[in-house]
Parts: sequence; C-alpha cells; structure tokens
Amino acid sequence: MYYYIFDQGNLPMEKFERLQTEALGYFAEFKVSGETARVTPLRSVADLVDTASQRGAKTLIACGSDDTFNLMLASLKGRDFTLGFVPFDEKSFLAKILGIENIFIGAKTIAARRIEKIDLAKISNNFFINYLEFGVTSHNLRSLGWLASVKLLSSEAKNYTIRIDDSYNLNISALGGLAINIRSASASGQKIADPTDSHLDLLVLEKLTKMQILRYREDIASGDLEKIPKTTVIKCKKITFLEPRGTPLTMLGRIIAKFPSTVELVPQRLRLIVGKNRTF
Amino acid sequence: MDKMIDESLSQQAETVVGPSVKIQGDLNSDGNIKIEGFVTGKVKTTQSVFVMNGAHISADIIAGNSVIGGEVLGNIKVSGHLILQNTAKITGDISCQILRVEDGAQFSGKCSMSQNGNGGKKTVHEEPEIEK
Repeated sequence: MYYYIFDQGNLPMEKFERLQTEALGYFAEFKVSGETARVTPLRSVADLVDTASQRGAKTLIACGSDDTFNLMLASLKGRDFTLGFVPFDEKSFLAKILGIENIFIGAKTIAARRIEKIDLAKISNNFFINYLEFGVTSHNLRSLGWLASVKLLSSEAKNYTIRIDDSYNLNISALGGLAINIRSASASGQKIADPTDSHLDLLVLEKLTKMQILRYREDIASGDLEKIPKTTVIKCKKITFLEPRGTPLTMLGRIIAKFPSTVELVPQRLRLIVGKNRTF
Repeated sequence: MDKMIDESLSQQAETVVGPSVKIQGDLNSDGNIKIEGFVTGKVKTTQSVFVMNGAHISADIIAGNSVIGGEVLGNIKVSGHLILQNTAKITGDISCQILRVEDGAQFSGKCSMSQNGNGGKKTVHEEPEIEK
C-alpha cells in the first residue's frame, strides 16, 4: 500500500493546493493511488510515518521539498519501508539525483517502481542519504554574495580532529568540510559520492590563497571540494568528529548535530524508487 | 610495463592526505593513496601509494606499487613497482619486484627483490647509505 505524505513546507497555500491536486490526479491516472496525509502544525512528518507504520503501509512517498524527504527518512527509526519522492520544488536536489524532474515523472516513476538499493548514513539514530557539512559550508556560500563569500573563505582555518573507521585520527587545519553519501553531482562509478559504493567520502578543505579563493569559489559553493588542490579526501565507513567540541554539523543549513558526533554508513540499506534519469 | 604503471599512477587517488594533515594510526584503503602530509602508524593498500615531496611518513608501507618523493621512516613492502624520486629520503628496508631509483634519492636500509614480489626471498642487498 502507498502512503503519501504531503508537506506544504515554505510554499504558498494556493500553490501547494494546486500541486497536490495535480499530483493526486496523476496518481489516479497511473493507478498508484493510496492513503494520503497532510503535514499540519499538529501532525508532523514523524507522526505520519508512525501512522503509516500502524496502517501497514509498505511504501512511503514524500510529496514536498527535500526537507520533507529528509524528515521522513529521519523518522523511520529502523522500520522497513520502500521510499519514494515527488518534488514540489523546482530546485530540489533530490529530484535531480533521483531523476524525478517534476510531479508527472514522479507519479510515472512510482508506477514503474524501479527500486534501487542505496547506502544510508546514520548520525545519532537519525538516517540521511545526502551530506553533512562543518566549518565554512557550501550552503552558506551559496546564500552569500560575491564579496561576503570571498570574505568567508578568507577566514582563519580551525584545527579539527576526526577519527576514521576507529582506525586512525586525522588532525587538520581546515576551513571546513563535507561528509558525503550522495550529492547533486553523484554518479555511479565515480570515485566520490557514489551512493552504491558502501563508503562515505570525507572531503576537508584547507586554507586557500586569495587566487585559489577567486578561482575555486564556485566549486566550493557547489560542494566539489575534490577539484581544489590540497583537499583531503578519505573514503571510509565511519567518521567520528571529535574536536573542536560544539562545532555544528549541518544538512542544507539546518544543524543536525554537534561535535563530538559519529556518522556511520549502513550499506545498501535503503530501498528507493528512482527514475530512469537518476544520476547514480 | 612502465606505461601501464604510469597510467595506473596518474589515476585520481581515492584517498588524498593533504599537506596540513597529520594522521596517527593505521591508514587502510582499497584504492590509490596520495600522501602530502604526515602519517604515523601504518599505510596499507592493494593499489598504489604516492608519497609526495614534502610528506613525512613514520610508518611501514604495504602496497601494490609505490612512488616515493617524500621522507619515509619505516619499511616499504611493495608487490610491484617501487619508484624512488630524486627528492625521496628513505630510512628502512624496502622490498619490491621492480625498483627504479632516480638521481638524488637517499636510501638507507636493506633492499630485497624478487621476480614474483613475494617479499624478496631471492636476492638481498644490504645498502648502508646510497646517495645517487
């Protein structure tokens, strides 16, 4: 049984209503109708996932923004669902990597039910599929203007201590970094950010010269840190962020945890409905 | 053979240790490792290890192939090619199948070589100090 979670997010009510109607129409057309529920101030995504579990739903579909999907994922608590996504946001990062460009393709994809098993990352009992950032983050850079982003990248490096796979400690003076499972530039067979390779990728950005800042500012903003010289790249299954204590770990600008924290990979754990044009 | 090795070595390294990084512990990988920083412990991979000029390794290295351009204090055991670049400084024993030493490389230790790269059971040369 399909269980659809509709989330207005930051959309105006009128637009959300129109998109919801459109989506329901396509679900009926492709014969993938199921139970639907809408997120309200009194019913969070987590509440709806609990309800879906009680009703015996096997497939959960998030209809909304990337945040809706991430909240749904974080609410699974180890329960076994197949997940899907229908984007209500044209700039959705997930839509791009899953190959689901719009609502119509979202509904068509659910009907085709092409399921891919991908790695799932876990931090403090919360699951996620994309990436975490610390220090100077690409999310911050994207939201800043040219001058402010150059100033941010010119800030002093901090000393970070990170333990990898319970095997060795990494001490590094850096501006910031990323722990990636999947990202918008992900593709299968790529060395970095392949969500099917059973590895996390840790990318750490060192202090840059002024010339490097100007040259690589856009690569940093898009999270492609491996293109920048001197960037440290580590493939691993477990990352423990140790110091400096209290440093926030963020996902799309939202603080998820603080140092010390451990990120682990659960290989091939998530069953995800994906589109034909997925990037991995 | 050299061309094949050069191609393999020019591939993007899976693990890159940047110049300001200090690693303490056992660095294990399934892919190529490129080290520009400091490592204390052990470095192990079935693929290639590149120790770049400026890198300092106080560790044993076990790898498929290796190119050394930095300073290594420890034993190097390579099943294939070992290339010591002109900036290399090695204090420790080396074991490999094929060895190339460039002018200027410094090596102090034993060198074992064998046809099948089994750790040098056929030939053992003791070289207290070489500076080419």
